[in-house]
Amino acid sequence: MTDRDDLDMLAAEFVLGTLDARERAAVAVRRQSEPDLDEMITAWERRLSALADEVTPVTPDPELYQQIEQHIDALETRLAGADTDSHDKSNVVSLHKRLRRWQWSTALASAAAMVLVAVLIFQPAPEQRPQSFVAVFQQNDQQPAFMLSVDLNNRQMQIRPVTAEPMQGKSYQMWIKADSLGPNPRSLGVLNDNFELERAALRDYDPELLKEATFGISVEPEGGSPTGQPTGPAIHGYLYPVADEAPGPSH
Amino acid sequence: MSEPFSSSTTGRAPSGSESPSQPVSPDQISELLKGVAAKDRSAFATLYEATAPKLLGTIIRILNNRGWAEEVVHDTYIKIWRKADQFDATKASAITWMVTIARNGAIDELRKQPASRKAPEDELNQLASKEPNAQSQVENQQTVNRLNLCLEELEKDRRDMVRLAYLNGWSRADLATHFDQPVNTVKTWLHRALKQLKGCLTP
Repeated sequence: MTDRDDLDMLAAEFVLGTLDARERAAVAVRRQSEPDLDEMITAWERRLSALADEVTPVTPDPELYQQIEQHIDALETRLAGADTDSHDKSNVVSLHKRLRRWQWSTALASAAAMVLVAVLIFQPAPEQRPQSFVAVFQQNDQQPAFMLSVDLNNRQMQIRPVTAEPMQGKSYQMWIKADSLGPNPRSLGVLNDNFELERAALRDYDPELLKEATFGISVEPEGGSPTGQPTGPAIHGYLYPVADEAPGPSH
Repeated sequence: MSEPFSSSTTGRAPSGSESPSQPVSPDQISELLKGVAAKDRSAFATLYEATAPKLLGTIIRILNNRGWAEEVVHDTYIKIWRKADQFDATKASAITWMVTIARNGAIDELRKQPASRKAPEDELNQLASKEPNAQSQVENQQTVNRLNLCLEELEKDRRDMVRLAYLNGWSRADLATHFDQPVNTVKTWLHRALKQLKGCLTP
């Protein structure tokens, strides 16, 4: 068997999906700098794609599209960049839309939404515009929920529990994942007994990366994940920009 | 806590009917993807409507959990929105490109969870009960028939392995457990099966 055959089989198994997490991650990195491997992968994708034909389609929950649109709104708003008034208003509008959805999605989510409203209202009018972002971690009513706020100017973060409660013998651990960080999440630290995390945990991350990143909180054995990767169930959130000015009383 | 923060999967019937509203041709999907590359939101909405059931079906079969699968669908469409301009029609069809992003996302997620498969028997039954789709959704019928013919030439165990891996996301270790073989044997079998398939598919 030649090296080229080996490489072709690596590509084939990558496409088939039988490699373990570490092998998959290694191939994903290698293909960026190895055109041969990349081409072999594409060829296998083409060869096997007809297998996907036998999958039964499943219509998604209509809510899913709204969530995707809101995520894209957030990405595009950020790209638009300009700190104009109309931009601020559109943020408020999209946040309100999100709040409405949260309010009827689950009881827990509406609790999270109320906290978010409170934050919007009580945020003092800023002297200098902070780049404030929030992420809400929500799931069904059995699950804990947190809220994360980040000021991108100084990369300070604050995590607040909304309905999350301490669990005997378990710790909550916070993670960040972004395309540019590779396929695996990176730990931002383990939450202490007061649900606090070091405020400067984000200092090594570029603000642009933070805006696109997925944040996760997982349940781990006490003291944090023994493997360096999330081992327990996890909930996820994305950062959304918060309008600089509090919504008025008309809200 | 057996399921990783899954949303409730019961009592949330999809609003639409199970049948796709409008069959969309591969060329149309390719055009829509071009629109998405130009950040056309209405093209994105149409593309989503035409393809999301296919991607969700693909991901659910791998993850076996609807809430989790919808999260991966979410990530998949964000990637599609951001990377549509990287789609190269000379290398793959648009839907293959999208299914690839979806499968990669689902398998990456699955490999991070050490949980073992709960009901392999269900998945095997699902495999056995496959019925050819009346209308091919991913590839043209000729391509599908050709691959099926080549799969038929494989020994049954090896054919099942390829399909369980591709469709259900089974790892080498999952296959080794089920087929009661050492992992290295599974790897050898897979490689032989894949080479045989490649030979059969090469004109």
